[in-house]
Amino acid sequence: MDAVERENADRQKRWAKEQKVGEGTYAVVYRGREVATGRRIAIKKIKVGQFKDGLDMSAIREVKYLRELKHQNVIELLDVFSSKTNLNLVLEFLDSDLEMIIKDRSLVFLPADIKSWMAMTFRGLEFCHRNHILHRDLKPNNLLIASDGQLKLADFGLARDFADPGHKMTCQVITRWYRPPELLLNSRYYGSNVDIWSVGCIFAELMLRTPYLAGDSDINQLDTIFRALGTPTEQEWPGHTKLPNWHQPSTTYPKTPLRDLFTAASADTLSLLGKCLVYEPRKRISALEALNHPYFFAIPYPTHPSKLPRCAAQLASRAAEEAEGGDIDKMSTGPGVKAAEPNNRKRKLTSPEEFRVRSIARKLDFTKQANSP
Amino acid sequence: MPTADAETTAVTTKKPLYEASTQFKHWRYSPESLADVRSKLNEAAVAVIRQTFEAYEPGSSANVLFLNAGEEHLLVTFYVTRITQLCGHFRFPEEVEATAATYLKRFYLKNTVMDWHPKNVMWDIQFQERLTALFLATKTTNNPISLEAYTHNIPNTNPSDVLDLEFLVAQSLGFEFSVWHAHRALWGIWLDIQALDGVPTDFAKTQTSLYDTALNYVRASRLTDAEFIYTPSQIALAAFSLAAPEIAQQWLKSKQAVSESNPSSPTQIPPGILGSLEFIKGLIVNAGQPPETEAVREVDRRLRLCKNPEKVVGSKAYLARKAEQEKKAEEKRNRKAMEVEKAAAEGVDPFGDELERPKISLVDYDDDDDDD
Ligand SMILES: Nc1ncnc2c1ncn2[C@@H]1O[C@H](COP(=O)(O)OP(=O)(O)OP(=O)(O)O)[C@@H](O)[C@H]1O
Repeated sequence: MDAVERENADRQKRWAKEQKVGEGTYAVVYRGREVATGRRIAIKKIKVGQFKDGLDMSAIREVKYLRELKHQNVIELLDVFSSKTNLNLVLEFLDSDLEMIIKDRSLVFLPADIKSWMAMTFRGLEFCHRNHILHRDLKPNNLLIASDGQLKLADFGLARDFADPGHKMTCQVITRWYRPPELLLNSRYYGSNVDIWSVGCIFAELMLRTPYLAGDSDINQLDTIFRALGTPTEQEWPGHTKLPNWHQPSTTYPKTPLRDLFTAASADTLSLLGKCLVYEPRKRISALEALNHPYFFAIPYPTHPSKLPRCAAQLASRAAEEAEGGDIDKMSTGPGVKAAEPNNRKRKLTSPEEFRVRSIARKLDFTKQANSP
Repeated sequence: MPTADAETTAVTTKKPLYEASTQFKHWRYSPESLADVRSKLNEAAVAVIRQTFEAYEPGSSANVLFLNAGEEHLLVTFYVTRITQLCGHFRFPEEVEATAATYLKRFYLKNTVMDWHPKNVMWDIQFQERLTALFLATKTTNNPISLEAYTHNIPNTNPSDVLDLEFLVAQSLGFEFSVWHAHRALWGIWLDIQALDGVPTDFAKTQTSLYDTALNYVRASRLTDAEFIYTPSQIALAAFSLAAPEIAQQWLKSKQAVSESNPSSPTQIPPGILGSLEFIKGLIVNAGQPPETEAVREVDRRLRLCKNPEKVVGSKAYLARKAEQEKKAEEKRNRKAMEVEKAAAEGVDPFGDELERPKISLVDYDDDDDDD
């Protein structure tokens, strides 16, 4: 065996594959462990043989970008190896995703919880953008949640770099409901602000607990956006009528204040949300600016990740892990996310259902604290 | 290693991104360590191939003149020049060419040129590696072309010639596909220069030849070890300095002024740049050219006599190795079949306790990952 193949085989031996946990469009995902430490991992196995062009672009992009990006709020690619005709990505194991949490009706979100998820999302995204990488597929089920509550950007299968601003790019990216208007209008020159729009949609969804701009076709999507945010004027989005896919809409929707829909949201919240959903891409807030927005510095402070609502699957898997004495938590609060008081008075106002879930979560946390040195 | 925990909301001190890259962490060498890597690789390769020769025909390695590390390196440099030809043929963008060249150079820090993977006698040496490295580069730089179109344009190739080595190339690169290039850094310098005090507004228009000359020096640097030793911006500055020394000085001064007034500026000039600048210029001027045809021909002739016989289709050693592999696979299939039968007899699902079996086979379920 050649040295390179031997090295590959040695890498492979560091990871033990266990049962299958999921299946995506081009991969099967297994749970597994790092042999040396017992650390839980996920192995994403991509069969290359089925692609007539060899390693496919999603896999290439995922490997290319995750190899470079190391950040608390970006899924960690621990290793890559090949086995016969498969490419295997070893990823940190993440119990659930934000979509599961949003859909779990037994969970009640506090404004501080939403703030915490948003802070982690923007932190991960700012890191990508600083590295000149566009994610281009942000949506709740690509925001995975670790057992310590940390949110991680995942699925870089559509990502690309944007070092070159004048470079033509495909507009066929981002899942419809999270796709910004410039892409719906087939703009081929865009930038990091496409991801910001998606984050705005996710922000709104966290408050509404249902997708905010859920168009049922690509054509209808633009109409859905205009209905919600008002038909853009030439003044607020100069040049948009010159974009390739522009058709003069039959109805002109008036601008309705976000407050009408998001009745309970604070002024800071609506200010940041509005800045993410600005029509003119260049006027949209950047991830870095967002992190410095007053919203993140105002009361209530973001919930500590470990105290965030978590869904049943997560609780079960966390409990199992603790029972095994697994060492999972390095439990650091992301800077800027100040931990809320565990006994925040507001907690008393939450539903009994939620109280139950939270108390379990807290109990687990106490176990952890007792275990830690 | 930048620790994630150091990332703060108000991003204050930023480590230059380049320093967090896999290129910076895994593909930088000193001239000495680079020479060391190559000579160790060469020694190990010679030992293995000598053994293979001996195993099949005792005494047969005695008269073989194996290539030394310097000769291997000469061939690799030659292959890089051929990448340029292929790219010209396809009119691939600079990014593809530069990336493929880097892939090929990195590949031969892990593989010897004496391991030959030819399938078609029409090809010159190491053609398959080049084809694969370039095809991979089209994908990793987001300039994909269908394999069909790719091989269609190269005589006597078929898709499997390209794909057979894709894993080997990717593995050799450590699956690290992202490359920081000097030509990009040069573009950055070029934009900066246009904004310097006293530079006329039509500078970019009237002085494009300066940029082109500098770009050609960057291209020449690809035939050297510069990218393994220096940062892309150092190489770009050296190239620009060869084209227009005074403007390069002016640019450097302006950057130093910025760094002094703002020590955490992301465009800070790395210490020691001036010393290395002269060195890189020397490297580009002296080593940045295609190797002499005669020298290549001579080494190539010897390569044909000392290449690893296990990799030469049809040779005794190749056939023996194939037979060995076949036997192993056969044994494994038998083992599997027996397991399945046994499990069936016991009423156990051999696929384990998965809740549902996949409808379409996305992955090769036969591929148990623990053997060889
Ligand atoms: N890091 C991980 N830890 C734990 N489970 C994971 C991890 N990554 C993926 N999974 C599980 O595997 C499933 C498939 O993941 P994958 O990323 O391949 O596809 P997807 O994003 O769900 O779908 P698509 O391929 O259509 O984008 C996920 O739905 C999830 O249940």
